[in-house]
Amino acid sequence: MAEPIITPDNSLNRRDFLKTSGLASGALLISVALPGCSSLGHKGMVSQQQWQASAWVRIDTDDQVTFVLDRVEMGQGTYSGLVTLLCEELEVEPASVAVEFAEVDSIYNNPLYKLQITGGSTSIASSYERVRIAGATAREMLKQAAARVLNEPVASLRCEQGQVFSANRQPIRYGQLVHLAAVESVPGNLELKQPEQFRYIGKNAQRLDTRGKITGQAQYGIDVELPGMLYAVVSRAPAYGGTVKTYDASAAKAAAGVVDVLEIAAAGRHGIAVVARSYWQARKAQQLLKIEWQTPANAPSDASVWRQYEQDLDQDSGDTLRNDGNFRRAAKQATSQLQAEYRLPYLAHATLEPQVCVVSANRHGMEVWAPTQAPSLARIAAAKHSRYSVDDILVHTTWIGGGFGRRLMQDFVAECAFIADRLQQPVKLIFSREEDTQHDYYRPASLHRLTATFDAQGQLNGWQHRLAHPKVMHWFVPDAAAAQYHFMPKFMFSTLAVAGKLGEGILAPNDTSGYEGANDLPYAIDNLRMDFVHSEPGVPVGYWRAVGHSHNGFVTESFIDELAHQQQQDPLTFRRRLLQQHPRALAVLDKAAALASWGQPLPGCKQGLAIHKSFGSWVAQIADVQVQNGSIRVKRVVCVVDCGVVVNPDIVRAQMEGGIIFGLTAALYGKINLLNGAVQQSNFHDYPLLRLEETPAIEVAIIDSTAEPTGVGEPGVPPLAAAVANAVFVATGQRLRQLPLQLS
Amino acid sequence: MFSLTVNGVSHTLDLDGDTPLLWVVRDMLGLKGSKFGCGAGQCGACTMHLNGQPIRTCITPLSAVAGQNITTIEGITPAHGLSPVQQAWEELSVPQCGYCQSGQIMAATALLASNPRPSDADIDNAMSGNLCRCGTYPRIRKAIHRAAELVGQRPRTGALFYEVTTPEVQHG
Repeated sequence: MAEPIITPDNSLNRRDFLKTSGLASGALLISVALPGCSSLGHKGMVSQQQWQASAWVRIDTDDQVTFVLDRVEMGQGTYSGLVTLLCEELEVEPASVAVEFAEVDSIYNNPLYKLQITGGSTSIASSYERVRIAGATAREMLKQAAARVLNEPVASLRCEQGQVFSANRQPIRYGQLVHLAAVESVPGNLELKQPEQFRYIGKNAQRLDTRGKITGQAQYGIDVELPGMLYAVVSRAPAYGGTVKTYDASAAKAAAGVVDVLEIAAAGRHGIAVVARSYWQARKAQQLLKIEWQTPANAPSDASVWRQYEQDLDQDSGDTLRNDGNFRRAAKQATSQLQAEYRLPYLAHATLEPQVCVVSANRHGMEVWAPTQAPSLARIAAAKHSRYSVDDILVHTTWIGGGFGRRLMQDFVAECAFIADRLQQPVKLIFSREEDTQHDYYRPASLHRLTATFDAQGQLNGWQHRLAHPKVMHWFVPDAAAAQYHFMPKFMFSTLAVAGKLGEGILAPNDTSGYEGANDLPYAIDNLRMDFVHSEPGVPVGYWRAVGHSHNGFVTESFIDELAHQQQQDPLTFRRRLLQQHPRALAVLDKAAALASWGQPLPGCKQGLAIHKSFGSWVAQIADVQVQNGSIRVKRVVCVVDCGVVVNPDIVRAQMEGGIIFGLTAALYGKINLLNGAVQQSNFHDYPLLRLEETPAIEVAIIDSTAEPTGVGEPGVPPLAAAVANAVFVATGQRLRQLPLQLS
Repeated sequence: MFSLTVNGVSHTLDLDGDTPLLWVVRDMLGLKGSKFGCGAGQCGACTMHLNGQPIRTCITPLSAVAGQNITTIEGITPAHGLSPVQQAWEELSVPQCGYCQSGQIMAATALLASNPRPSDADIDNAMSGNLCRCGTYPRIRKAIHRAAELVGQRPRTGALFYEVTTPEVQHG
């Protein structure tokens, strides 16, 4: 290294530096004020070579900047996005930054959830200031240190490319300054950059996490390997809540490589685990198990689910979450009405990396390696199903082979912790694709009844939306409530789970998973009512990409299209007239219409339009669809998004492309069926994903904006199915009110 | 006992012949780049090359490939830099979660080896057995065309495959 490291107690180094810098020597007063232990988690020097500037930033004497990523990377681009935010203020090249995945620490909690979780398309929004502040703080402390060395005012210095520059002297590298910066006081006031000063934010840059993913070097959960590790597979009761009546494991136990066969009950699921020296030995032995299951009475089937939804909608008035004007009076006085019923199925997440976990347990404690979206909940799940207290459990996150909300649930951690705790050895648990499909926490099925009313002039003046849907939070809260109060003794966890479930709106946030995207309908309609009927068929449910918006986007944007056609109006004009109070909505609509040449579909196609706001972002999509011999073929999707300030436009485009393909899979194929509690689908032959050859041309445009950044990972999904269904209506005259779309 | 050549290295393995090649390579040879997705040959995450042809290794028993040449994602990655396919993937930021991408790259590499200038229809044919849940298909298509350009710019020899050869290894 060319120049020496400067330390507070090493005046020689400082003298060398001044000499090599051509500076006049002279006494330098170095303030050794103790580092302020701020809310940033500033720790000072944590070794001779490393300055922990904050919980997010470490800088080494060799100039290496390390960013601690407190959100997980599951494809959505958080890794690149948050590094970009840091680098913008810290003034270092994003590609030069090393990234570590954060351990569990409350300082990393997502402020919107008060939990360390990645979900709800919130990573950029919740980190936009926080990570820039972490970068700016470190930068200012480096500048303060440099100011002392150079005997120049801080204001005369500037940072660029990992160096501090002054007007007359040669630049000082960050690594040289870390010892001094470490003892600087944390600045009280910071000025963050203005958008016109941005060097990295808003630029099309290549993703920073590609290299490991294209060379096979990125370590996913399934790739974690520990010395002496055993492999576990679990046969689970086909119906949720089912138990093991009897089982015979004698043949499995005698099979080659088998170490143990044990009954397991974790995260509400009962089963038999086979543990062997290799994965294939475990799988082969699993085939030899003879198990008789006890299926709970009233285990749900498709028919019973729909019957329950229908009854609940008939009999329960539900919670009224929106009540503008007086819908009942409008309905009474209406000259005409339009009613429709929409149905959406259960959906599996189908992450390409199946659920997997590695746990090591011994007398010192437990270590968990998991591709989880919620490390703070993973720790709770591991504690609940083992002898260990929360403080004795360390959770490591890995690269994640797709999340989409599936990995907010911690059943795979619970099961692996249960097994490793019993065996006191390192264990890797791998779900087969069939097990993954059949033991998911599904996007809930939902039933919607909509009514629109028209006044004497034929004008739309009333809208009522009643929907039956379970509460997703009830399945999430047992681990989440305990994670918020992780310092409580373990025996309190079950009490916390109950309190969290009952305390919705008080102890726990409101569960918006059923009605989001329905109660906030943007259209200007005088009499607007939205009722949510809580209906609980007992099927395990979870958060699925876009959550409530995934069904409400389809329902509301299909029904508004029905109304436009009923009124014999152009669907774009009809929507525009009702969205006059939402200029951002009009802007995305108009841009989409221009890009898609609305009204002039591709040859052989018809066009459908949809717009939906979710996670703060407006997205409009226009689908050009060809219907031929009863099959629906989407040829092109034009997508316009307004997500406020954009950190990386190329990643926004990628998320829209991915959301469209995810939405198209659901529109054309997605469906989980139940029979006596057992999921009927198993693998990709009966739960298909869209293939490359079926992928439409996709064109994405982003609205220029300086508004605060909003979500990107999910908002591409909700409008898609409606845009396609609306085009199918134009093509065939058939209004398809169920997903997946199927022509009669 | 089975013998197998993986990325130019020959191995002797004392394993059941019905063990799928995927788990042999991942857990016995420690090459983790090839992924498990479905166990039924339906998603392509486990794609490797058998004598240059892409195969689904989650359903290929070890006994069926004994004595033959296997290439994995690690085997097509040069010691320094990237193969043309990988380079195109990086330029266009193809991967999202990345889990399916080694399989995608193996399929694309085999396509380009046999068809240096594939049309969109050729790409559909060759790539539609490789699923991606994140929806990176539009970029995969572009990246294959880009890789074809890059291959065209390189000298013909060893353009797509980089194999290392070291002494025999015994496992078992």
